[in-house]
Amino acid sequence: MSAILVYISTTGGKIKRSSLEVLSHCRDQATKNNMELAAVVLDNDAAAFADQLQQYGARKVYTVSNPIFKSHLNAPVTQALLQIIEQVNPRVFACASTEGTKDVLGALAAKTGGAALPDVANFEVTADGVSALRPVMAAKILSQNTASGELVLVSVRSGSYDATESPTVADVTDVAFTPADFAAVLREVISSTGDKVDLSEATVVVAAGRGIKDEEGKKLIDDLAETLGAAVGASRAVVENGLFPATAQIGQTGKVVSPELYFAIGISGAVQHTAGMSNSKVIVAINKDGDAPIFQMASYGLVGDLYKILPLLTEEIRKAKSA
Amino acid sequence: MKFTVCIKQVPDVYAPLQIKNGELSMDTDRMVLNAYDASAVEEALVLTEQHGGDVEVVLIGPDKAKETIRKALAMGAAKGHHIHVEDTHGLDSAAYASILTAFFEKNPTEVIATGKQSQDTDSGLAGSMIAASLNLPYAANAVGLHIDGGSSLVVKRQGDTGQEMLALPIPCLVTCSNDMNNPRIPSLKGIMASKKKPVETHTLEDLGLSLATVRDSVKTSTISYQEMPAREAGKKLEGDAEELVSSLMNLLQNEAKVI
Amino acid sequence: MDDKFDCIIVGGGIAGLSAALTLAKNNMKFLLVERGEFSGAKNVSGGVLWGSRLADLVPDYWMQDAGFERYVRHRRLTFLDEQSAFSIDFKSDHFNEQPYKGLIVLRSKFDNWLAGKVEEAIAESSFPEDSFIAPNILVDKILMEGGRATGIKTGEEEFHANCVIIAEGVNNLLTRQVGLQSDYVPADYMATGVKEIIRFDQSVLEDRFQLDGNSGLTNEFIGYASDGIEGGGFLYTNKDTISIGLVLNLKSMRENMSQDKKIYDVLTHFKSHSAVKDMLRGGEVVEYSAHVVSTGDERALPKELYTDGVLLAGEAANLLLNSGKAIQGMDYAMESGILAAESVIEAKEKNDFSKTTLSSYRKKLDASYVMKDLRSFQSAVQFLHSEEMFTSVPKVVNEFGRSFFTVDNKPTAKTPAMLKDAVSKHSSLWNMIKLGIKGARSL
Ligand SMILES: Cc1cc2nc3c(=O)[nH]c(=O)nc-3n(C[C@H](O)[C@H](O)[C@H](O)COP(=O)(O)OP(=O)(O)OC[C@H]3O[C@@H](n4cnc5c(N)ncnc54)[C@H](O)[C@@H]3O)c2cc1C
Ligand SMILES: Cc1cc2nc3c(=O)[nH]c(=O)nc-3n(C[C@H](O)[C@H](O)[C@H](O)COP(=O)(O)OP(=O)(O)OC[C@H]3O[C@@H](n4cnc5c(N)ncnc54)[C@H](O)[C@@H]3O)c2cc1C
Ligand SMILES: Nc1ncnc2c1ncn2[C@@H]1O[C@H](COP(=O)(O)O)[C@@H](O)[C@H]1O
Repeated sequence: MSAILVYISTTGGKIKRSSLEVLSHCRDQATKNNMELAAVVLDNDAAAFADQLQQYGARKVYTVSNPIFKSHLNAPVTQALLQIIEQVNPRVFACASTEGTKDVLGALAAKTGGAALPDVANFEVTADGVSALRPVMAAKILSQNTASGELVLVSVRSGSYDATESPTVADVTDVAFTPADFAAVLREVISSTGDKVDLSEATVVVAAGRGIKDEEGKKLIDDLAETLGAAVGASRAVVENGLFPATAQIGQTGKVVSPELYFAIGISGAVQHTAGMSNSKVIVAINKDGDAPIFQMASYGLVGDLYKILPLLTEEIRKAKSA
Repeated sequence: MKFTVCIKQVPDVYAPLQIKNGELSMDTDRMVLNAYDASAVEEALVLTEQHGGDVEVVLIGPDKAKETIRKALAMGAAKGHHIHVEDTHGLDSAAYASILTAFFEKNPTEVIATGKQSQDTDSGLAGSMIAASLNLPYAANAVGLHIDGGSSLVVKRQGDTGQEMLALPIPCLVTCSNDMNNPRIPSLKGIMASKKKPVETHTLEDLGLSLATVRDSVKTSTISYQEMPAREAGKKLEGDAEELVSSLMNLLQNEAKVI
Repeated sequence: MDDKFDCIIVGGGIAGLSAALTLAKNNMKFLLVERGEFSGAKNVSGGVLWGSRLADLVPDYWMQDAGFERYVRHRRLTFLDEQSAFSIDFKSDHFNEQPYKGLIVLRSKFDNWLAGKVEEAIAESSFPEDSFIAPNILVDKILMEGGRATGIKTGEEEFHANCVIIAEGVNNLLTRQVGLQSDYVPADYMATGVKEIIRFDQSVLEDRFQLDGNSGLTNEFIGYASDGIEGGGFLYTNKDTISIGLVLNLKSMRENMSQDKKIYDVLTHFKSHSAVKDMLRGGEVVEYSAHVVSTGDERALPKELYTDGVLLAGEAANLLLNSGKAIQGMDYAMESGILAAESVIEAKEKNDFSKTTLSSYRKKLDASYVMKDLRSFQSAVQFLHSEEMFTSVPKVVNEFGRSFFTVDNKPTAKTPAMLKDAVSKHSSLWNMIKLGIKGARSL
């Protein structure tokens, strides 16, 4: 039986929600096409995730445990995944699109001779490959793509599918892995501090743009986010000027998010920004310029000064939450 | 240190575009230097200005794409390589990567820099494909570069939860984010100097390839284009801050039911 | 000095590009500087390039994939009142002959295309590596030495030339800097243009406006369009969009428009007229822009069009004619650009770039249709500015139209009686006769 192999990304001892979304979709695809669903996870202690993967319907789970996976390095990840791909010989290799998977997808394709469809909004396994929709031109339009061949590698934008459970009993294999000598040396890991809620997993995102001028404005954002239990996002403008960390950047260059509720605060709505958030369910925009393009996509647009609106809004939400 | 930057000419995403019978049609034929590649050129220029060395650029494309090579030369690159392929229709990242791999086998360099992705397709594959094919160490999504001694390139890359600092022994490849810098706008002197800089033309045959072999390396195809599903038009509220907040609270609680 | 140019052109609009193409073909060493990211990036225009001069610059341009949208085959002038539209309509196969007599263009595309032609001409000239089009560069200053221009300054860089053609368009800052234009051009002689581009399915557009192949329609509007403000409206068909807009006099806007109203509101008013709405149905607005434009009033012309080492071309010199039946800014820009370049070529032959030699530009321009028309149509320009033209005349015309075209179960009046009646409702006979005589004389 041919297989779909899903590469599961983990962070801080947890499986990323976006990986579970992909796994759930691949389970449906496997059923439809009479294929086997396999999952591979690389981590310091990868075996710990096997149970959860069975909950989501993986019939085969490959765990590769090694301390080298504590931080991200493309060479060992590529080496391990190539090893598993060789072992499983899947027709389709799928993963969530993250900086970690973007780093290795091209190399995997080149090394395996497979076809790669990165950052798809959805995909279907077909008789001779994969057919997918990808946002292009700064996500202004969708392109319908196909890939054929013995192996197709796809990465999926977060929020494209729901993560749903469907428990099964899996065949769990601990794979022995010996990292090769790598030319690249990891010198330092600089993690962003203060990310209380992971942006790409968050159900509520409060995003700040150039309308936030200073630390005082940043505090208004942080207060609102904390009251809502939301993650903080940012436009490129305020990452560039150092007010917000680069991990908060949403858009073409940054992250793709699709929360239930997205606040765009002092963000004009350039295509490169909206490319990363247009799939949010409810979008609230606060901008003093009534002609700002963000209003064209906002569910609720507030024309006004964020410095006046945010304190009141945070207060009202606090009241509503405690009521 | 010698840098060779892969630059691509892409359609201007700001130009109005539309879909006609599933085909993409741009109102203007405006083509620009891929923004990510411009950042790669900028960083290579800054590093060679500080530490010495040369910056060359390589582009695969039709004759018209030479204007993009000129742009990079006007920024300050010393030499351009134009791999002439008049009809690039249907070529994907894998095909471009296979051509560039062949180019680098014949024209070795110390650091290959590419953009992290093409601005029009957002593929982000060609860089790591070239590195894998050439068996070079690489780092993707670099937001900062510096040179450490003469033998390694230190890369700060943006990861999912933070940044990683890597030292790559030379030769190596790096894919650059536009968050790395703001590319310079060519000065008039730069524009004038660019016309006298050498641009070497390579054919696929010069690289031991042919259009047929390149077309064989294409793995994916675009079948058609379609509109993004439009978002439903929302409500725009105006008024003083109190009014705005109370209307919004009402809508979030009772209409959208998200709070 | 080796790196001195024969000429530096400031501005890559139609005037600058036409001058550049002429210089390149005559083997001059020149530099054209454009502040926009590319030629056309910043240019707004409703879009008819009148006349056939382009064919001299780019022979057989219609054989290539040229940068124009459609050629003018069908023309219409419409008088609007609240409910009605009365048009004079002319469509002719004569207009199919090449070279065309009018091209509908979108400037961002057309200018970029023309810049490509200049690049080609440079490559074939004696200075393939020493003549340039340099985009994305703003000229801050014209360098002057002892009253004559010697080059330009941009940022910290200076570039030198025997002469400078200023083709910077209507915001003539440099023209003022060299002292050719007074610091203050009264708003009376300036207008503001607004334009929207509205997209249709190409076949819908072609059916709706009865377009065949590359043929196009131009439609000017008088009356309701400008909502009581001096000025008029226009509608031009592009490939699969239309350009629709207004040109409104600044002084009249100040006097007749309430404070809280914006020019955009006047455009909305124009578009809401039922006759206009019918033409726009199903279209999607894809672009909006606004720009100052000369009115073509002779009194706004600069003191002189040249001085030592300087020539002015196009709207930098307020060369434009708005005669009501057409706006002629682009063709004037092209003609003046070419003539300025020809004077530079002559000056180069004499190796004398003084005022005396460059005065040949003035002579050429005076002898051309540009200055001839600009002078002889001054009365048309004034005529157009008479209040009746955009207030009572459209009403009279439509009142007449209504009675003339209405067939009812009542005795029908004879045409002269209808006319008289229409006039007396909205104006006086005496006024109309005066206006009629004025109009007949001026056009
Ligand atoms: C290749 C490429 C990739 C890019 N990738 C990204 C990306 O991933 N993410 C991204 O965000 N950008 C990206 N950009 C940049 C993008 O084009 C925009 O420049 C950026 O998104 C603008 O950020 P902004 O909306 O915060 O700033 P601006 O466009 O300056 O908007 C600020 C807004 O704040 C409003 N404002 C100001 N003061 C107040 C106030 N007191 N109250 C209320 N409102 C106020 C203003 O009206 C304005 O609308 C990219 C660009 C390129 C070329
Ligand atoms: C709404 C509207 C509708 C119109 N419709 C018509 C029409 O149907 N037909 C017609 O013939 N005319 C029309 N016109 C008028 C016409 O657009 C102008 O007369 C014409 O563009 C003038 O050409 P130009 O080359 O002189 O100037 P422009 O086209 O204005 O070009 C000037 C160029 O110089 C550049 N520049 C300016 N300053 C500097 C500097 N300091 N350094 C470097 N570069 C600089 C600018 O970026 C610009 O590209 C219309 C105008 C408007 C506003
Ligand atoms: N035609 C090309 N010529 C030169 N470099 C290219 C070309 N196509 C892609 N590249 C390089 O590969 C990078 C990633 O491309 P992509 O895989 O298309 O996103 C680009 O940023 C360029 O640096």
